[in-house]
Amino acid sequence: MSIQTSGLGFVGQSVTRIEDDRFLIGKGRFVADVQPEGGLHAAFVRSPFPHATITGVDITEANRLAGVVAVYTGAELNEGTHPFVPFVASPGSYSPLYKPMADEKVRHIGDPVALVVAESRRVAEDAAELVVVDYDLLDGVGSIDKALAPETPQLWERADGNVLHDHTDTYGDVDAVFASADRLVTLTLHSHRQANQPMETRGTVVEIEPATGHLTIHNTSQGPHVLKWVIAAQTVDQGRLRSLWQFLRNTPRRKAFFAAAREFRTSNAADLKKQDNAAMKGQLKKDRSLLKHLGQMGLGLLAKDDYPTVTSVDIGGGFGSKGPVAREDLPIVVAAMRLGRTVQWIEDRVENLADGGHAREERFDVEIAVDDDGTMKGMRVDAIVDAGAYPSFPFGAHVLPGMWKVYMPGPYHFEAFQLRTRIVATNKGRVVPYRGPWANETFVRERAIDAVAAELGMTPADVRAKNMMTEQDAPSHFLTGPTIDETMSTRKTFERALELIDHDDMARMKADAQARNHRVGIGIASYHEAAPGPPDFADAMSPGAGILTKEDGRATVEADGRIVMYTSQVPHGQSHQTTYKQVVADEFGVSMDDVEIVWGNTDTSQFSFIGTGGSRGGPLGAGVMRSTARHVKNQMLEVAADMLEASVDDIQVVDGNIHVSGVPAHGLSFADVAGEVANRSGVSAGPVFSHAEKYEGVGNGGWSCATHVAVVDIDLDTGKVEIPRYLVVEDCGPVINPAIVDGQVRGGVAQGIGAVLYENAYYDDDANLLTSTYMDYLIPTAMEIPEIEIEHLETLTKGENDFRGVGEGGMIGAPAALTNAVSDALGIQVTEQYLPPTRILELAGVIEPDRPSTQGT
Amino acid sequence: MSTELVTITINGSRHALDVEARRTLADVIREEVGLTGTHLGCEHGVCGACTILLDGQPARACLLLAVQADGAKITTIEGLADGDEMHPVQRAMKEAMAFQCAFCAPGFLMSTVALLEENPSPSTEEIRKELSGNLCRCTGYQSIVAGVETAVRLLSSTARPGVEQ
Amino acid sequence: MKNPPFTYHRPESLADALALLAEFGDDAKILAGGQSLLPVLALRLGRPGHVVDIGRIPELSNLEAGPHGTTIGALVRHAEAERSVAIADHAPLVAAAAPHIGHRAIRTRGTLVGSVAHADPAAEMPAVCLALGATMVAVSAGGTRLIAAADFHQGYLTTALEPNEILTQIRLPAWPTDAGGTVVEISRRHADYALVGLACTVAVADGAITSAALSFFGAASTPVRVADAEAALVGQPPGEAAFAAAAEIVCAQLDPPSDVHGSANYRKHIAGVLTQRGLTAAVARIGVAA
Repeated sequence: MSIQTSGLGFVGQSVTRIEDDRFLIGKGRFVADVQPEGGLHAAFVRSPFPHATITGVDITEANRLAGVVAVYTGAELNEGTHPFVPFVASPGSYSPLYKPMADEKVRHIGDPVALVVAESRRVAEDAAELVVVDYDLLDGVGSIDKALAPETPQLWERADGNVLHDHTDTYGDVDAVFASADRLVTLTLHSHRQANQPMETRGTVVEIEPATGHLTIHNTSQGPHVLKWVIAAQTVDQGRLRSLWQFLRNTPRRKAFFAAAREFRTSNAADLKKQDNAAMKGQLKKDRSLLKHLGQMGLGLLAKDDYPTVTSVDIGGGFGSKGPVAREDLPIVVAAMRLGRTVQWIEDRVENLADGGHAREERFDVEIAVDDDGTMKGMRVDAIVDAGAYPSFPFGAHVLPGMWKVYMPGPYHFEAFQLRTRIVATNKGRVVPYRGPWANETFVRERAIDAVAAELGMTPADVRAKNMMTEQDAPSHFLTGPTIDETMSTRKTFERALELIDHDDMARMKADAQARNHRVGIGIASYHEAAPGPPDFADAMSPGAGILTKEDGRATVEADGRIVMYTSQVPHGQSHQTTYKQVVADEFGVSMDDVEIVWGNTDTSQFSFIGTGGSRGGPLGAGVMRSTARHVKNQMLEVAADMLEASVDDIQVVDGNIHVSGVPAHGLSFADVAGEVANRSGVSAGPVFSHAEKYEGVGNGGWSCATHVAVVDIDLDTGKVEIPRYLVVEDCGPVINPAIVDGQVRGGVAQGIGAVLYENAYYDDDANLLTSTYMDYLIPTAMEIPEIEIEHLETLTKGENDFRGVGEGGMIGAPAALTNAVSDALGIQVTEQYLPPTRILELAGVIEPDRPSTQGT
Repeated sequence: MSTELVTITINGSRHALDVEARRTLADVIREEVGLTGTHLGCEHGVCGACTILLDGQPARACLLLAVQADGAKITTIEGLADGDEMHPVQRAMKEAMAFQCAFCAPGFLMSTVALLEENPSPSTEEIRKELSGNLCRCTGYQSIVAGVETAVRLLSSTARPGVEQ
Repeated sequence: MKNPPFTYHRPESLADALALLAEFGDDAKILAGGQSLLPVLALRLGRPGHVVDIGRIPELSNLEAGPHGTTIGALVRHAEAERSVAIADHAPLVAAAAPHIGHRAIRTRGTLVGSVAHADPAAEMPAVCLALGATMVAVSAGGTRLIAAADFHQGYLTTALEPNEILTQIRLPAWPTDAGGTVVEISRRHADYALVGLACTVAVADGAITSAALSFFGAASTPVRVADAEAALVGQPPGEAAFAAAAEIVCAQLDPPSDVHGSANYRKHIAGVLTQRGLTAAVARIGVAA
């Protein structure tokens, strides 16, 4: 069938955003804007200490304050929930089970201990101050070294010391390769703790329908379906046997359940078969109670005849931090259920800095086996992650080992690679996914490559050129497993980036700088990322992980001709509303106004384990939009052809007009065609055309690639670093909306600049949090972020859907490019990611570090 | 608890409010008047999301008690458009695709309106300096600066003598 | 982060304000611009029982700057000082400080006197007052006290003001015609509180420095002058050699704090850098019309 579209070609244009029509006039609807009439407000009582036993919680005085409706201790609220259980079990890992509130111990500053519900947030905070908590202080574990020290007590009873994960992955004959190489280059690299810090904090508004108890939850979650099921499963309302009995008695529900279970098993059979049970067995060995809790939750789920509706509102950014379930989400539900009233919690910035999400505190011992001619043969890395106190649910630090092992050797030919990853527990806020959670693999590798270059007397560009994959490497497989296909275009981005560097200009800048007591340097970083990756990428991370990455799509045309598309994606800045309309409008041959996108409500949108995150929005979200739209369009055209008494091959759709080629005056509108079907079926409303599918992006390209180039200008008097030039050459395939893509890249780079020069979620060695407000956690402003040049390459594939993800890349390349540039400028090998002015001057030998007795940076 | 009677004109409408003195102007605008376009990003005066105009001057609504605004004229983001027609600064930001999640946008819009009233043709450096009190986490600022530059163009073209508004 | 409860007072006259302080002194905070007080309340770092809003007291808005000196009333906002031609002409050090102070939205509300009374060690105005030898006018129901700048700032967020006193105005001496002044600082981001800053004045006659003031902020718990460095400058020709020598003394004598933003050694080092930069800029401003 040759169907021509309208030719307007929204895809590829920087179409202005639908979202802006409400955002720019102040009509966005963020969670704090829901403000339901008569809703109550919650404030948590939080631990001011990093580590302590709770010996008493006295809520009497708090309860007496006028305007207070209820005060709950952590223990009372925990009675209403099951614990968080590990969702990801990776080999060699143990995840402690824990309940949402701290009731025996507090494990980090900000750990919630009690909850006040009142008529206003201010009264709730007044009452929170009146709750008296008795603490027996314990030593706080504030660093990886302290966590590993033998004399440090264990934070979690059943763990191996404070190590929650220890696993080594090996590819190739590491020993032989290392033995045969001319030399080894070794270094230890430190990445510091950072915080996602979207401009909007988290929040939840839990409404409860008085008659039925049905919960409607407005939440900032990036994954509303996950939240829905967590709340449904983890809230306790009745005993086990009663649950089971109710379930078995309810025949329709029982049948529907088993039908759904069968369907799930069949459609995911391949992935389910691949799941490595060793990991879960390891977890169970340490804590059998997991089975009991899973059983209770399962039965509880089955017994409930009503599940909550979770509806996303407009979300003010997330960068991964709104993916995991907030611990606070559950106690708020429990409180609402107990009170039979709407309760809301709007996180404030101090709460968000303490536990809204941290990431990147990792240390890497790196060895590169290299020959004297610059051929890199092998890589060995010993990585340790400071995961904080509580493992995030469902995704947190435990996803890192699987991702790192696949990514770390990067777009280079290595013959052997070994990665040991350990995850340690400390008394700090949780680790959550943060924009390219695996990003430090690029920091580690690219920094190490520059160190190799220095050791060998080669340039960083030459070492990369010698070792980087070429087009000839496709098709084949990475050492670490996944397919190398034609989208593996890092080398193209690298070569183009080199073309865009004016070496004479750089030499001149460097020379001029010396006279002013400045140092100028240039740094490169290249990488590839799965966006979404070839079909075997998920399995390479963890067998059967593909189960998480499929995307359900649904397209419909209503009886009145409106096109309504359903997505599981949950935009929080990615502009899906606009980009999806572009894709669908092009597919149907209509204007963007004719397309409606439905998202964010668990009653209407499809299930997804991940929601928006992991660079899925473009390739999977838009991909399934296009695929399902195409199916529905073809259905419509069959009917139209019949109505027009023509062959389907002769039908064109231009700007919503369905007509025989060359005869636009006798065309049909979408309303005409839909109306016809509606009449035939005797319906007057609802979808008359529809198609749903589970989309895996199979057969399409999968890698997005980029090379970043950073130029830094360091003032050796003050240690301040400016960035006179920042360039990104990136290839994410065809671009739906160039302005939106550019915005994503720049936003990611800005966070990378923030990470290296300004941001540090700083805990001292006893786990006291020193960056508790925006006076101390420094987000870069318009004066600190330079203009960022972007050049797009567009490697196409043979597949249907070329859209590849791009959201995370900016942050993957930036820390590596910047630390390489600083190394070049100062003529040293930088081994840490945080380079504030003090550190720059210490590294440059201008000042000495303070003597240890001083409270340090 | 005791309350204070204050009269605040917001976007041209007079509001007589009876509020506790401790409440910030930001909270009162959002909760008592129901104008939720002014956002709270930090509540301690750093992020700028709550920026409004008080008697024409930019101010952080989280660093003002509502009682301090007694008798004052406040403009919020909701007060920029003229009925259905966006203010040139709003139109400019849309055209330039300035924002992503747009949570910070209200503060940026008000700061931009204030900037351009004071300095109708700022340099790029001046724009960045004047907007450095508004934090954005999504965009890296370049698109927002482009939006301000677009606004400069739109405002100067509408100010041409003889051109109909 | 909502404010704790307090009793709010909005006196219409200075006398009424003073009467309130006489009664509630220890448990009261003054509200003028609020840019320092409001974050304290929001973070519940302070819980005053009473807030006395002096924002409507007419006699506190006075701003006079002339060849005989400058008087800045309690309600003069940073933005006003920034725009004032009289300040630029007759109190150029104040004009030099203004653009460093936060962002525009802060400057439209915050007051110079409020900043001095709040006494953040990294703030510009306390150091400016110390550099100029300002006089603080502290008024209570019992009378008026004049406090020299050198005696005013006593420690971190601590001044010589008694609980029953309001700092109603700051008086600056006449600005000498042969002097130049500047404020320079290093901060992490644009417009942040200084890691270290310098309010610096220098007077030159017949090719030699006749006087200098080096008043540092961010280098101690109060603004601090380095008298030995100032003395070493006197009699020297203004230039790199003299400035470098002064910088060395500054580095040797200052004992700055260390925190997450900068180490003690870092602050020492940049105090020296700022000494040279500040003196160079100040000399360049001698005789320059505003």
